[in-house]
Amino acid sequence: MKKNSILSKVYLVLIFFILYGPIFYLIFYSFNSGGTMYQFEGFTLNWYRELFQDTRLLTIVLNTVIIALLSATVSTILGVAGALAILYARKRRVKNTLLSLNNVLIVSPDVIIGASFLILFTMIGIKLGFISVLLAHIAFSVPIVVLMVLPKLEEMSESMIYAALDLGASRFDVLTKVILPYITPGIFAGFFMALTYSLDDFAVTFFVTGNGFTTLSVEIYSLARRGVSLNINALSALLFVFTMLLVVGYYFITKKSEKPRGMGVRQ
Amino acid sequence: MKNRSRNFYLIPYVIWIALFVIAPLFLVLYYSFFNIEGEFTLSNYQKFFTPVYLKMTFSSFWYAFLITLFTLLIAYPTAYLLTKTKHKQLWLLLIIVPSWINLLLKAYAFLGIFGTYGAANSILEVIGIGSQQILFTDFSFIFVSVYIFLPFMILPIFNALDELNPSLLYASSDLGASQWTTFTRVIFPLTLDGVKAGCQIVFIPALSLFMLTRLIAGNRVITLGTAIEQHFLVTQDWGMGSTIAVFLILAMVLIMIFTGTRKKGVL
Amino acid sequence: MGENTIIRFEHVTKQYDDDSPVLQDVSFEIEKGKFYTLLGPSGCGKTTVLKLIAGFIEPTKGNIYFNGKVINNLPANKRQVNTVFQDYALFPHLNVFENIAFGLRIKKIKNDEITRKVKEALKFVNLEGYENREIKEMSGGQRQRVAIARAIVNEPEVILLDEPLSALDLKLRTEMQYELRELQRNLGITFIFVTHDQEEALAMSDEIFVLNGGKIEQSGTPTDIYDEPINRFVADFIGESNIVSGTMLEDYVVKFTGKTFDCVDAGFNKSEDVDVVIRPEDLEITLPEKGKLQVKVDSQLFRGVHYEISCYDSEGNEWLVHSTKKAIVGEEIGLFFEPEAIHVMRHGETEEEFDKRLEAYEEVNG
Repeated sequence: MKKNSILSKVYLVLIFFILYGPIFYLIFYSFNSGGTMYQFEGFTLNWYRELFQDTRLLTIVLNTVIIALLSATVSTILGVAGALAILYARKRRVKNTLLSLNNVLIVSPDVIIGASFLILFTMIGIKLGFISVLLAHIAFSVPIVVLMVLPKLEEMSESMIYAALDLGASRFDVLTKVILPYITPGIFAGFFMALTYSLDDFAVTFFVTGNGFTTLSVEIYSLARRGVSLNINALSALLFVFTMLLVVGYYFITKKSEKPRGMGVRQ
Repeated sequence: MKNRSRNFYLIPYVIWIALFVIAPLFLVLYYSFFNIEGEFTLSNYQKFFTPVYLKMTFSSFWYAFLITLFTLLIAYPTAYLLTKTKHKQLWLLLIIVPSWINLLLKAYAFLGIFGTYGAANSILEVIGIGSQQILFTDFSFIFVSVYIFLPFMILPIFNALDELNPSLLYASSDLGASQWTTFTRVIFPLTLDGVKAGCQIVFIPALSLFMLTRLIAGNRVITLGTAIEQHFLVTQDWGMGSTIAVFLILAMVLIMIFTGTRKKGVL
Repeated sequence: MGENTIIRFEHVTKQYDDDSPVLQDVSFEIEKGKFYTLLGPSGCGKTTVLKLIAGFIEPTKGNIYFNGKVINNLPANKRQVNTVFQDYALFPHLNVFENIAFGLRIKKIKNDEITRKVKEALKFVNLEGYENREIKEMSGGQRQRVAIARAIVNEPEVILLDEPLSALDLKLRTEMQYELRELQRNLGITFIFVTHDQEEALAMSDEIFVLNGGKIEQSGTPTDIYDEPINRFVADFIGESNIVSGTMLEDYVVKFTGKTFDCVDAGFNKSEDVDVVIRPEDLEITLPEKGKLQVKVDSQLFRGVHYEISCYDSEGNEWLVHSTKKAIVGEEIGLFFEPEAIHVMRHGETEEEFDKRLEAYEEVNG
């Protein structure tokens, strides 16, 4: 038994080492004055300084954030409406159909989403760039918001809505005074997921963006294809810190209302 | 609660479904019947059944299978050992966190680690094997893919194991089963849903991720995803790209049917 | 319709889709200021009646009157009725004060008025000083009171209570029974209380409706229903009873278990087959030769205030006896009872026919 537990500890430590090793490797070399990812010559903050002087990159960061905030906001609104629509669908068949259609974009590979959206935007004549990227991000974030909000709606007891009506509330009162406040944690979680989906998306954006508009992921891809450059390391260190902050924030939002198992890994 | 209230939440949601779920799928199907000159034809399908494309499809499935298999082999013990730890939800969170880091950054990290003078080769030197070409090999492609998909496999298996009623295990050993028999006859069958969900989450993206093949495998490996990206964004042959996409969607549907319904919260 | 009638059901039927109706052609009247109980097993339609009154569902057939006006299609938020739900249905995102103030805020009542009314309501349910508590900090019994306060603060004409005590433990439940009864008397408004617990119904109500299979089996005061159940179902559902088949030889003479007994029932046909009820507490244990019935003690349980003794007669009928005296298992004993203890029930008699028969022979006697 004792031997087993040591063995299992070693195994877990190894897994955690493999999972975090590359990330810290990346961050470690962001302080390398040598300019390579294999020979650490000396400590420097030059790469960070360079990063903050690169106005092109800062514009891209700004674009990425604007797209993320806008798409998360719109998709949260659409997603909440969608969850309510599924909740209120009286026929079992309608409900299941809606849910299946909802999940199509979640299980679809990014390439399929990207390629099909590219066809769609070209067909209806939307210029590839900010608008097409925004629309695409809204579109693929809606289902995740639905999935985060729906369980909250479903756990809400029906008698609470009856109670509100019974106390004289109109249908609009029921929505604004009872349902929305009740599902607020789900809405936050959905918004947060939509935000990170958008921030991290590469493949779909890669397909539907046009000349002159780039997001951070696409920029990293094109930089990385050119080979190692420690700018990217510095950028990744900053993104890592930012992601950790988001994770911690999300953890506290969901922890207040439910077990953290509602948190999903994301693609 | 009924009759009187029209489900007006359906309106925005159904518009979203029509525009971004149904229309894109139909457009992909529609485009698959056109060649690069814009003529209606079945030639794309004919082309798909030539040895070149069949071989590519086969190898794409083979790689996806290997990636899924290795991910499962590493993830299952990890998930199992995680359920045995104290503060298991916190450890689980730490397993999930790397999945929130931008995928491209993780791939980029391996450009450094697997590079000619990178950490991996330094270790090999020390052991005495000597420097190897690691980057742009099958090994590096599968290793990085497993690395990226690991959290996605661990989460559903962890949840399945976590839901397992401990008294079932007591009952099993009470009835005389050895630890190994308990595992094969009780634990594994009961967590099969989690395993299926995990395989589904890994297999489909493994068929379609194109940035990894580009960055890590150096175009040595062509997956269905790479082929689609190639046709849409490089050769501009949308028809052929759509045809491959149609087969990828078919494969996806088959896998979903094969691995059954996925559970909530296992994104 | 009486002047005091506040709610009237007229041949109301409720049916969901193509299922068999949950409520079948039900008619009754509810008067102002009384405590009513709808009693019956689960699925009998009692909650459906409540939902119809509250306005959560609409009748399939028939009419529902409120103060003389048909309210079939009036939405719940326009009705002078408030409900206390089985799971309390308190809003978890609002504190105690805001939960109670919910209805008043909807009506756009002034803030100081709301504060005054909420405080008054809290006082009514003995929860003064709990305004700022969160719902999850309250115990089951306290939540119950908040739910009641939330209903009474709107000053409705009728309060509906849907098995509100079922989630409480026995001691608290008994306490709340007293409090609810007290509250109803103090407020002077109509309470309609739904329960499947016959003791609760008997203890609290001015009037009880016993429901079964979507129909009202019997209505009346607790004593009426307990002493003169109309049929086997009611007799069995309300309290424990010994029910045996018998024959009505003539007025005031009934035969069962092969013996003839005097009784106080009349108005039957000659030699009509009937059901006979004797309550366990009306049976007295004596020596075999002094008893009207001779039985053998089969088993005995100590119930705290009394022994519950199960005996069998020579025909194999079970007789339950509640007695403060202990019996010896396996011993032959005699059971004694007064003629008044026997209650004779006609097969398939409706409430109307029952009342008519009762009046007829009371006139003869009176």
